[in-house]
Amino acid sequence: MNSTGFRRRPRRPRRLAAEASALVIAAVVAFPLYWMVLSAVRPAGEIESAEARPWTLAPTLDSFRRVLGQQEFGRYFLNSVVVACAVVIASALIAFLAATAVTRFRFRFRTTLLIMFLIAQMVPVEALTIPLFFLMRDAGQLNTLGALILPHIAFSLPFAIWMLRGFVKAVPESLEEAAQLDGASRSRFLWQILFPLVLPGLVATSVFSFISTWNDFLFAKSFIISDTSRSTLPMALLVFFKPEEPDWGGVMAASTVMTIPVLVFFVLVQRRLVSGLGGAVKE
Amino acid sequence: MKLAARLVAPMAALALAGLTACAPGTSDNSSATKDDRTGTLRLWLFREVSNEPKEKVVDKVVAAFEKAHDGAKVKVEYIPVETRAERMKAAFNDPKSAPDVIEYGNTDTAGYVKDGGLADVTTEFNGWADSKDSDPTARTSVTVDGKVYGAPFFVGVRALYYRTDVFDELGLEPPKTLDELTTAAQRIRAARPELYGLVVGGAYTYGAMPFVWANGGEIAEGRGGSYASTIDSDAARKGIETYTSLFGDDNCPAAKCAGMGGNDTVTAFAAGKAGMAIGGDFSHAAVEAGKVKGKYAVVPLPGVKSGSVAPAFAGGNNIGVLKSSTHRTLAVDLMKGLASKRTQGALFDAMGFLPTYTDVRAEAAKKEPFIEPFVKTLSSGTKFVPVSPAWAQIDASLVLPTMFQEVVSGKKDVDEASEDAADRMNDAFSSVG
Amino acid sequence: MTPVPTSPGGTARSRVRGGPAVPHPRARPRSRGAAAWTPWLYLAPALVVLGALLVYPVGQLGLISLLEYTQAQVSGGEPTSFRGVGNYAELFADAQFWQVLLATVGFAAACVVSTLAVGCALAVLLTRVRAVPRLALMLAALGAWATPAVTGSTVWLLLFDPDFGPVNRVLGLGDHSWTYGRYSAFFLVLLEVVWCSFPFVMVTVYAGIRAVPSEVLEAAALDGASQWRIWRSVLAPMLRPILVVVTIQSIIWDFKVFTQIYVMTGGGGIAGQNLVLNVYAYQKAFAASEYSLGSAIGVVMLVILLAITLVYLRLLRAQGEEL
Repeated sequence: MNSTGFRRRPRRPRRLAAEASALVIAAVVAFPLYWMVLSAVRPAGEIESAEARPWTLAPTLDSFRRVLGQQEFGRYFLNSVVVACAVVIASALIAFLAATAVTRFRFRFRTTLLIMFLIAQMVPVEALTIPLFFLMRDAGQLNTLGALILPHIAFSLPFAIWMLRGFVKAVPESLEEAAQLDGASRSRFLWQILFPLVLPGLVATSVFSFISTWNDFLFAKSFIISDTSRSTLPMALLVFFKPEEPDWGGVMAASTVMTIPVLVFFVLVQRRLVSGLGGAVKE
Repeated sequence: MKLAARLVAPMAALALAGLTACAPGTSDNSSATKDDRTGTLRLWLFREVSNEPKEKVVDKVVAAFEKAHDGAKVKVEYIPVETRAERMKAAFNDPKSAPDVIEYGNTDTAGYVKDGGLADVTTEFNGWADSKDSDPTARTSVTVDGKVYGAPFFVGVRALYYRTDVFDELGLEPPKTLDELTTAAQRIRAARPELYGLVVGGAYTYGAMPFVWANGGEIAEGRGGSYASTIDSDAARKGIETYTSLFGDDNCPAAKCAGMGGNDTVTAFAAGKAGMAIGGDFSHAAVEAGKVKGKYAVVPLPGVKSGSVAPAFAGGNNIGVLKSSTHRTLAVDLMKGLASKRTQGALFDAMGFLPTYTDVRAEAAKKEPFIEPFVKTLSSGTKFVPVSPAWAQIDASLVLPTMFQEVVSGKKDVDEASEDAADRMNDAFSSVG
Repeated sequence: MTPVPTSPGGTARSRVRGGPAVPHPRARPRSRGAAAWTPWLYLAPALVVLGALLVYPVGQLGLISLLEYTQAQVSGGEPTSFRGVGNYAELFADAQFWQVLLATVGFAAACVVSTLAVGCALAVLLTRVRAVPRLALMLAALGAWATPAVTGSTVWLLLFDPDFGPVNRVLGLGDHSWTYGRYSAFFLVLLEVVWCSFPFVMVTVYAGIRAVPSEVLEAAALDGASQWRIWRSVLAPMLRPILVVVTIQSIIWDFKVFTQIYVMTGGGGIAGQNLVLNVYAYQKAFAASEYSLGSAIGVVMLVILLAITLVYLRLLRAQGEEL
């Protein structure tokens, strides 16, 4: 990332000013996160204390204990990981093929299709839950992880296809011609040449599907009805939202627990994400 | 790839379903014809934040039940309250996933009945010895159109929390009438401007309604499907007037209090920001964890006349049997086991849930003096929301909070706001037919 | 993980150096004997999934919006009946609906513009700092992005609480209530929405800038162009494909904002002054299982968003951008 030999080197004071502001902005952006973690370790009753101190003198892990001590918490965590990974992998593969089709070929309805892909995202999800529910019931998927995986694949595909278009476009056509001259079959080109080239883009789009799947409440509570052992992490968070007596310490601790795996995922793919997304800009 | 293989089958099924189904989905949810005496019963209970004590009590009930019924098993699942709406709908739509016995919030009764979910257990309930001591409001909360759809599980009720130290300092006595309540609130605010006198919330429906009820007003009148709102009656308007007059710089500034809900007011009180608050028996733990521990007491919220108690809203949960259950007799027995006097007594000890039986409650009050004012509030008569499926919509579209907030923020006067609220409620009542 | 040399951005950049720096206006049509059904073969999995799980439900949505369809019909308690445009008539006759629609459009527009502005500005900032501040800002942003919306909203509410929050203390605002005034409440929600959605724009656009050949930027800098001019006349045109995606996505997301409004304004603000369409739909329809009315609202949202998207794409096409 640093090897670009980069653009105009700003003069020193200007760069320092830029870096200082970057750090200040980072602190501002991170402050609510800090407050979340802080609220999670505060002793009961201190979250709402008139002093609003940005620290606590008696940190406690009680809230985390309430979160982690929940029945089957590990199970929920595992389910979330399985669902998120399945969605990420499946939607990446399907989107890759679709993006290749709409970028490398011209055919009727191409533009229409691209816009159609977006349509479902424009409708409130609550409205789609009912037809989806009956679909899942008739397909016998209710109360299985499939009832979460399938809709999430569908909802992450449109965005993934739109993003991947740019990456596929960026691969020079000459490469395909050369491959053909070498006698490579179309599928060989697709999987052995094109696929690795757009892999960074796939990683980039997978971040989006990962987050939306990981944080989903609605499908998780609508399609996993009778088998709580198939529940996902957000259900462990919802326990703390009791209408009249919410447990904010528990909410914050559960959210912290939920956010950490996403951050880990980010850190792992961060380099690829940044280098990968760049491909989308090319024609 | 394994994943692909696992996805192909459901995908194909989905494609098929998509092709064959044209009409929007419905489900055949007629009552089950079977009544098996053996097999597994599914029981759904709400998951509490500290759920273990509840589980212990329930496990005992289940063990006793399984011992008494040969060949019957019970599978208990604890679901977060926040997910109940989606899950219950889903259960009504897919009898295969549906439980046999459920715990449900008592304001949901009419909606669940209308949705065709709950079984009519009138005969069994009336023939049950324990039910004789059930208090009348609790009974109302399981009754729709004269039929009983479950057994009360516990009640929750609100009363007046006040700061003993502040009252002592200012030489105040716990208020005996609503007028005294206002005066006391203003005196506290005047002497201690950093405190709200009585912390009130524009979105705190169940804290506001006692003022309406105490003045003889009602949300709506009627039976079953044919409710008509009476929130714009003179009596109700007087209550609205009294409650909204509490929003102001002399007690609880509108800018801060108009948006508050019940939990916000309890939080403010617990943090030592208020002289008084209207809180539930279930708020006790939160207040105990706050700064005011040891510096507060609770009395019933006073009514208009000295010595009277303002009718409180009787919240709480019920236990019901689903219409789709194929084990009706067993399910009703399990319901009785869970809602019995014995279980309720044990649940009070474990979780602090207030029993729905007058005698069990009196005993509980002896053990835990702090619930005494709540028991007193309950015994002086409580109120319930209209038992109409329209209530779900009225509640969700915030008709009552909007009314209070319109008055508090000066957007409308009491007459106009209450009239609009009545119109909106009547729309909802008539839309459910 | 990958058999290809992955010097960051390697493939993309090396290609651009050799190729045209300005986006080629037209993708080349491919025939060369490619069987006409090949693209459909590639599209097949996507079409199956989207057809079954999106097109079919959206079709059902349209159908349901013409029926009387509540939970009672779903459970088979009452027969389904045809209402024609009755649900739409009911909706359009509601004065509140138009008010809410107007507020939604305005609020969403403000959110989209602010998110894009903040995201793009910070993306440019990221290119001008060294690794440590960059990583700090990136991680903070990713954290904001990853926080569940309901938690983010709660935390922001706690931060701005008149009694218990630190913000009023720092700003010396005493016990000023942010959620009482209509615009002040919308502003607070906007801050939270920007906070949780700018990272998406920032990361995407930053990656886009990294892929722009440095010679172009150096040339511009040598000409003495200001940062704003470089963005306006060099970066923005080159980043257009990315900006199109992030803009459309932001419009869709911000138009449908629900959790933030619901949590932060207590279900739509004092006397409903902060209602937006999705919260309105929830209160009017979904909470009470009035699926037909809810579907009608959904269809209306779909039409509006589709219109906005089409107009936007049409404008782009007028500027020579091809889909």
